[in-house]
Amino acid sequence: MKTKWTTCLPCIASTLLGLSLVVGSAAAATNPHLLVTNDDVAPTSPNSVSFYTIGNNGSLTLSQTVLTGGVGIGGGYFGMNRVNVLNGSSQQCVYASDADTSDIVGIVVSTATVGGSATGSATDTGLSNGIGLVMNSQYLYASFSDSNTIGTFAVEPGCALTFIGDTAVAGLQSGVIDAMAVHGNILIATFGDGSIESFDISGGTPVSNGDEQNSTGAVSAQGATYPTGIDITQDGHYALFGDTSTAAVVEVSDISSGKLSKTVVYQSNAGINSSNIMLSPDETLLYIVDTQGDTVSASFFDASTGKLSGGCVSGKLKGYVTDFSYLAGLALENNTGNGGGIYVAEFGAPSSIAEVAVTSSSGKCTLKEAPNSPVSDANSSGLLSIGVFPPRAF
Amino acid sequence: MQIISRCFLVYAVCGIFCLTAAAQCPNRPNAGTVVQDALSLSSTNGVLNADFAIAHSVDQAGFTHYCYIYKTATGYAEAPTLRLNQGDQLLLGVKNHIELGNTKTKESSFSMKMDMSDPLAVCGDTGTETIASTNVHFHGLNVPPTCHSDNVINTLIQPNTPGFQFNFQIPADEPPGLYWYHPHIHGFTEFQVNGGAAGAIVVEGMEKFRPEVTGLTERVFTIRQQYLVPWIPGPYQLSINFQVADFPNEPNPVIEMKPGEKQFWRIANATIQDFLQLQFLVNGTAQPVELIALDGYPLAKTRNETSILVPPASRAEFIVQAPASGQTGSFMTQTYSTGPTGNPDLEQTLATIKLTGDGNSGQPIKPAAPAAPPISDHLKFANLKDRAPTTSRNLYFSEEFGGTNGPIQFYITVDGQKQRVFEPNEKPVITTKVGAIEDWTIENRALETHAFHIHQIHFMMLEVDGKPVTNDMRDTIEIPYWEGVGHPYHSVKVRMDFSDPTIAGTFLFHCHILLHEDLGMMHKILVEP
Repeated sequence: MKTKWTTCLPCIASTLLGLSLVVGSAAAATNPHLLVTNDDVAPTSPNSVSFYTIGNNGSLTLSQTVLTGGVGIGGGYFGMNRVNVLNGSSQQCVYASDADTSDIVGIVVSTATVGGSATGSATDTGLSNGIGLVMNSQYLYASFSDSNTIGTFAVEPGCALTFIGDTAVAGLQSGVIDAMAVHGNILIATFGDGSIESFDISGGTPVSNGDEQNSTGAVSAQGATYPTGIDITQDGHYALFGDTSTAAVVEVSDISSGKLSKTVVYQSNAGINSSNIMLSPDETLLYIVDTQGDTVSASFFDASTGKLSGGCVSGKLKGYVTDFSYLAGLALENNTGNGGGIYVAEFGAPSSIAEVAVTSSSGKCTLKEAPNSPVSDANSSGLLSIGVFPPRAF
Repeated sequence: MQIISRCFLVYAVCGIFCLTAAAQCPNRPNAGTVVQDALSLSSTNGVLNADFAIAHSVDQAGFTHYCYIYKTATGYAEAPTLRLNQGDQLLLGVKNHIELGNTKTKESSFSMKMDMSDPLAVCGDTGTETIASTNVHFHGLNVPPTCHSDNVINTLIQPNTPGFQFNFQIPADEPPGLYWYHPHIHGFTEFQVNGGAAGAIVVEGMEKFRPEVTGLTERVFTIRQQYLVPWIPGPYQLSINFQVADFPNEPNPVIEMKPGEKQFWRIANATIQDFLQLQFLVNGTAQPVELIALDGYPLAKTRNETSILVPPASRAEFIVQAPASGQTGSFMTQTYSTGPTGNPDLEQTLATIKLTGDGNSGQPIKPAAPAAPPISDHLKFANLKDRAPTTSRNLYFSEEFGGTNGPIQFYITVDGQKQRVFEPNEKPVITTKVGAIEDWTIENRALETHAFHIHQIHFMMLEVDGKPVTNDMRDTIEIPYWEGVGHPYHSVKVRMDFSDPTIAGTFLFHCHILLHEDLGMMHKILVEP
């Protein structure tokens, strides 16, 4: 395999330019509490990662913008994460993908500088629908949606990456890879044809566990529902899938054997399309983004049984239709309890980030958009992915 | 399930050779000129016999043109208006001269399969259906779904073959009014109609049922739509009889009328997705027009409207009165919201009215019969309101987005069945029998307005959102978008009459936003003999 690793003069230049945009220095704080975006700027301008400081009340303030040196596409699949956060013992990094230039850039959180960028093989590309990222402390995995490959990259000091190799993948019906999640030695992927598959990553490069299957929801709906976004419980017992659908559909698979089991389907009319999901840090709530609608919902989750029940729905988020057309990726304000608040990417021109406050107790919950929400992400006209530093523990 | 968005497939195909196509379509009129009616071809002694070719070219501004060409004694005319009487025979030859280059490998990578499961069903040419294939749908006509009539499921006309002959009779009780013809090749209809392949059909005799039009000058206006990049939905330009209406970028088209003159206007919405909200303004104020017919069916009683919503593929026929001397007039479409995931339909002046002593390009309507008979005695679907339904069904539109660039799934589903997109070899999702009278309630569960259309028959409007409405006969109707969770779905309830034994067979119902139709928001219905 060809390895590309670069000192990347454009990256250096763009970093310098990015630093010229600094309006604060929160990223350099000892214990930074940040929200980061992949602005996914379309080819007319350079792509960037925006850093927002998170205030004590959850409010967001743009602190700085770092040019990635690459170019985005301003859109793509809802369920894939285009930005990842590493809170390692030795380094703290933000990784973001550039779908148009097919590279992945690592940014050092403490300095808000680009540590380097890497590309996969010559054929790796996510030009039409993006490049999704997941990672553990050793490896970063990139789902290239056009070449249908998972690129494996070793995490290097200085938030650098080294490309290791590609794994060609495809859904059962030749579907395109969509989203991924990792936990321990398992990587799970969803495909646009309704199939799901897990991989053993104990050796670094993904090796199929031989459990590829069509999800229960996809089969019963004859493809009119298919798993997209993924989350995995802290103990690695369950994988949860948010489905692309005409309703709010979540599927749960028991993965305690190390492989996917047949999924169990939960459906409600609380949303229209549920491509993006995330468990609360205490795993009592599953947050579900109403991708095509204008709300966020939460469903109570029993981590011991993997079952979902009840929950609550936010009101309409401000600016739907007029300011944004889709809701997409989400992140949590805190990495303890129920997360305290949910941040949601609002896909618009310019895009914005909504904040929804969460309360929950005694089997009841509320979701309410914060008074100062949303915050504009003026750098992005196609925001789909956000992350928080420090990230949730699992 | 759609894996790769059509946009990218078409980009792969068209990006390579669409721009190399030979210029074959006639030049279209310059902006700011007087709008002319299309050439009329009228039946003689009960027969209209004509030969068309469909061709393709790209104009100097980069707009892709598809065109129906008719050879005249002096040259070529685009998309003539076909004029027939009730009971007349239409003999229409169509040759396919669409030439998109020779990149066969690329072309075959973007193709659809016709339903060849029944060899007897093959109608016309065989082979793979591609972006260069075509056929013709006679929109709104109540004619059989058989080969050489209006059978888009199996009719295929391939490029550079001898061509295809349509041969069918206009029913003797066909409602007099405005219909239209256009390609209906699954997967590619939007491209061909967007390029302008559409023309009007007039079934003569409106004056017999609506004598209000007697003696008035008649104008036939076909509103079309074009995208600069055909696979990206917008921004777009509207045109009226092929003259672009793009003010302020271009001067407005001009319609000539005499001061105070009443004219009978027949408007076909041949756009691929625009919900036209038509208004006739004098000195900037919308004027009432006398609505005569909708979708080619005369109204039981005329009514005055200041704004007429004409969904894609629908038609409206009405009487307008020109401004008096010294006043200004214009013909407009107003902004219409199609919902959060719909395309914006923006306000646009379609034409300005120029007052002139002698100018117009229409023709006077013939005198009415001495005593106009009541509609109920002479037209298809008469007395449908009084007939008891034999079956009721519920259907719904829905949409699913996998990402901002797709895949997008568009569904129309019979309630209780699985949501799935149309496949050419699918079995009918509805089976009924000749003689059935069915009430269909059609909901819109999508965040976008849709336009329901069924082939072969008109249907009667019964209710909108559960409330009774005037029993207009339609063949295309809008169903507004869903406002989201916590809101009810908008719906229409319509009555379908499958009594006519000649429409026995398999045909289609679908959304007439043509991208949606191409991507599978369509299914088959079988009417058993």
